[in-house]
Amino acid sequence: MIKITNLSKSYNKGLVKAVDDLTLHVKPGEIFGFLGPNGAGKTTTIKMMVGLLTPDQGSISIAGIDILKNPVEAKQNIGYVPDNPDVYERLTGMEYLNFMADVYKVPAKERKERISNLLDMFNLTHAVGDLIKSYSHGMKQKIVLTGALLHNPAVWILDEPMVGLDPKSSHLLKEFMRKHCDQGNTVFFSTHVLEVAERLCDRIGIINNGKLIAMGTMDELRHRDQAHSLENIFLELTEI
Amino acid sequence: MKTFMSLLKITLNVHFGISALKYRFTKEKKRLWEPILIILSIIIGGGAILTLYSLLLLGVFMGGQTIGHPEIVLTFAFMATQLLVLIFGIFYIMSAFYFSNDLNILIPLPLKPAEVLGVKFIIILISEYLVALPMLLPAFIIYGIGTWADIFYWLKGLILVLMSPVFPLVIAAIFAILLMRFVNIRKSKDLMVVVGSLLGLFAGLGINILTQSLPQGNEEEFIKNLIMSNTGLIEAIGNRFPPSIWATLALSSSGWQGLGYFLLFVGFSIVLLAILLWLGNAFFYKGYLSGEEIRGKAKALSAEDVEKGASKASSPVIALFKREWKLFMRTPIYVMNGLAGMIMVPFFIILPFATKSEDMEVVTSLAKDPKYALIALFVSLGLMLFASSMNLISCTSISREGRTFWISKIIPASPRDQILAKLLHSSCLSLVALIIIALPLYFLLGILLYRLIIIVFIGFLVNVLINIVGLIVDLLRPKLEWNDPQEAIKQNLNAFLAMIISLIIMLIIGGVSILLLIKGVSEFFIYGILTLIVIVLLVPSYYGLLALANKKYNSLEI
Ligand SMILES: Nc1ncnc2c1ncn2[C@@H]1O[C@H](COP(=O)(O)OP(=O)(O)O)[C@@H](O)[C@H]1O
Ligand SMILES: [Mg+2]
Repeated sequence: MIKITNLSKSYNKGLVKAVDDLTLHVKPGEIFGFLGPNGAGKTTTIKMMVGLLTPDQGSISIAGIDILKNPVEAKQNIGYVPDNPDVYERLTGMEYLNFMADVYKVPAKERKERISNLLDMFNLTHAVGDLIKSYSHGMKQKIVLTGALLHNPAVWILDEPMVGLDPKSSHLLKEFMRKHCDQGNTVFFSTHVLEVAERLCDRIGIINNGKLIAMGTMDELRHRDQAHSLENIFLELTEI
Repeated sequence: MKTFMSLLKITLNVHFGISALKYRFTKEKKRLWEPILIILSIIIGGGAILTLYSLLLLGVFMGGQTIGHPEIVLTFAFMATQLLVLIFGIFYIMSAFYFSNDLNILIPLPLKPAEVLGVKFIIILISEYLVALPMLLPAFIIYGIGTWADIFYWLKGLILVLMSPVFPLVIAAIFAILLMRFVNIRKSKDLMVVVGSLLGLFAGLGINILTQSLPQGNEEEFIKNLIMSNTGLIEAIGNRFPPSIWATLALSSSGWQGLGYFLLFVGFSIVLLAILLWLGNAFFYKGYLSGEEIRGKAKALSAEDVEKGASKASSPVIALFKREWKLFMRTPIYVMNGLAGMIMVPFFIILPFATKSEDMEVVTSLAKDPKYALIALFVSLGLMLFASSMNLISCTSISREGRTFWISKIIPASPRDQILAKLLHSSCLSLVALIIIALPLYFLLGILLYRLIIIVFIGFLVNVLINIVGLIVDLLRPKLEWNDPQEAIKQNLNAFLAMIISLIIMLIIGGVSILLLIKGVSEFFIYGILTLIVIVLLVPSYYGLLALANKKYNSLEI
């Protein structure tokens, strides 16, 4: 579903190598956790996957479509939520959702149903008539999430989705991710918390200093020979 | 004191973007020519204004000398500076004290309100020097040299010049603090923008009317007369605003009397400053926090409302257009700068005639004479086009998206659709502006209706072209990193660049029209040629725009 090959990206004319020759595949039906400490290159990778940054090298295909060659078609299959919910503050929640539904070409009937369901789930129904300006950080995050999932995309790409959500919303989102993947879709999300990845993911990729240093199920990672080479990284990623 | 200094240092750094500038010069190495260009144009433009202003002051000085009151130039400069600082100060202070984002970070820190307030005050004071020094120094120097003043004059004067913005700024700050404590206007930052813009507009109108009342020709003579007849007036204003008189007397009297007034001025400023800090400790945070709690709550939507609201569906271009429209109209600073500017320009041009009824009669009777009707028509077209070139809507169209630009990049709408929606939006507003400008011309000059429709049509075509140019400029170098919407539209060099290109386009069209008019070609032929020229320019720039959009929407990084 997601195919990343030899992806590289650097900032400031090559001074900072943020992503270095990254290759990974994610299969349909999988929740993939992209794990790494702060500054590892997670956000940079994700931004390239959704077309926000142009890679220096390498290719990315989402649901079989190359994001660089056919950006519009590829984007139709993606639901993306950034780590920072910068969103149109002077639209109401409802206006924003309708805008997203329009540009993703969600038919009227379907949109009605999905908007009510999602708003209900995230407990946003009461606020959706207000300007987004008046939302809390978590509410903004939830309205962005809702807008990203309206068109029922095959691939969800979420950057640190649990940060800033209250426990209930966070729990609901995790359940929702599981359900989505059980229908043969894919979720790709980044986190810097080992525990979150451990409990939720089918497979995990660990990135540090722009390089993918290990990939597999949690058990595989734990029991492989080089396991203790990961120990330091795990230590960094464990929340106390 | 140590915390105060480090707070001052960091705030100075953030406010004037020192680290960001360093980063840009040493690490990113992006568009270095830009700051140089800005500095250059400031030097040239500022120099010209400063020269004119100094000449005016010289006139006032010499006029004063003939009636034995050369110090009038000092009173004049101090008064003008302090009034200006007072008026601008209220807005600076409001936005720095109550509307800036850094307060959310500063309030939780273990600092006294007075310290935070003091730092913010110093920052504004420094910004005010940019206005105060060019206004005061020329008068100070002219008087000093003109009267062969002694060393004490220069010493006292330098301190007075540096202190001069303190007093009006403190008044503005005290006013702001008390206002915020008892009336809550934080809810409506937008209202402030509107009030501020209207104030600016009236100031502009006032200056316009004032310059209209200046007699043509011998201006120096006029200034002399003005001073002779108005020494009473200046004194009267000075009495309302005594510090400018104190400053004048401190400088023009010698010995103990001068020193006394000097101490009076300085002491008064310091006492006021102390009062401000005391008030700040008592009220500053309270006023800020009480504003923070209030939030305009729209009615909560029920489940049925949600279903109803979600039922309509539009095509992507229409959806993008609606987004553009709403975001523009709901941000007063955009409407004020983008639209009002465009509509106001022609009024400023018409006003000089309108305020002098004899002139107006001559113009209208000429315009109604069939012999000159065509000229009146093309002058009107020129006016419309000139106003259109003040259009800030298209050339800030991408910049205005700012940090939300990521949404435009991830949605599956083609760059073509996105840029078309923007072109549609700016051209719609252009059409509205054109019609608003056309109506008074129609009534004033009695232009025939069919001709009016034709020039509105040609004007609209040119506007589409200007909007395309604006979009191209903004695509090439959008300003996406800003925190306050005004940075996107007011502090955006794109507006300046687009305006220059628009002026060149208008020069071409104007030149061709004049040429054809002189040749006495039939009017329909002229319309035809103009339309043809615009279309010939329009087609390639349209395709150029689409190609550029395709490239830039993919390559712009955020
Ligand atoms: N806009 C940028 N300019 C320069 N360097 C950047 C920029 N964004 C990220 N970086 C650098 O790239 C590296 C990876 O950052 P990022 O992908 O945001 O990490 P993560 O999301 O894993 O915390 C970091 O070293 C960071 O400093
Ligand atoms: Mg990140």
